[in-house]
Amino acid sequence: MNKTTQLSDSALVSLYIAGNENAFEQLVNRHKNKVFTTILLIVKDTYTAEDLMQDAFIKAVHTMKGGRYNEEGKFSSWICRIAHNLAIDFFRKEKRSPMITLEDGSNVFNTLSFSEDSAESLQIREDTHARLRELIQALPQTQREVLMMRHYADMSFQEIAEATGVSINTALGRMRYALINLRKKMQYNDITYDKNLYSE
Amino acid sequence: MIKTSTQNELIQYVYDELADDARMQLEAVLMQDNELAETCSELLEMQFLLQNAVKSPGERAISNILNYSKSLSLQS
Repeated sequence: MNKTTQLSDSALVSLYIAGNENAFEQLVNRHKNKVFTTILLIVKDTYTAEDLMQDAFIKAVHTMKGGRYNEEGKFSSWICRIAHNLAIDFFRKEKRSPMITLEDGSNVFNTLSFSEDSAESLQIREDTHARLRELIQALPQTQREVLMMRHYADMSFQEIAEATGVSINTALGRMRYALINLRKKMQYNDITYDKNLYSE
Repeated sequence: MIKTSTQNELIQYVYDELADDARMQLEAVLMQDNELAETCSELLEMQFLLQNAVKSPGERAISNILNYSKSLSLQS
């Protein structure tokens, strides 16, 4: 068993800076899904998101190996912030607009993981998650920001409040509205789906 | 009608950020208040869904990152 598996992010960063490549592999595997999802929610294209995720980790590699890593904050928050900034920069440079959400819910998220989706239950679960990711993108910016910081950058509400310059009650309120909005929209979609299903 | 302060505490509870004494107080209230308990259940359901809505990148992208890091180590 790899001895680095249970170590904290901070310990893994120290080991990596000291030359332990296994420590870096653990860090990447621990955070790859959240970093990837953070980017995917912004750029909405799988291949672009994978490219930008690589750029984010490469930027992190240079910072850590260059001795410029600031150990004060969490690694997860730091890497997700790099990812978020790269995704935003991508839009600015390309002068692109976010992809339009299709009415039937189909999107790039549904084009992945073919081999895993053979069972009906897995497909339903993946469809639900894909729909949820689409709905996150449609949230008001302040609510989406808090949600992404809490869920994908592992920041506490106090840290989010400080990072966004609002009170903790405002951050909590935004999160609450985000959850309520998402739930309402999920329910609405379910009702629409059922009506279509039984109308013929 | 649930007070805003209670609703905010509910969010902290759902995300496991409530201090122990406040958590115990809230749990006592949840046992008595069906409306609050239902709201809590709905929030937990959404939180669970969001936690599981992450997507995995392809293995090749991960290999590229790890190989890049290793190549830098070999150079230095």
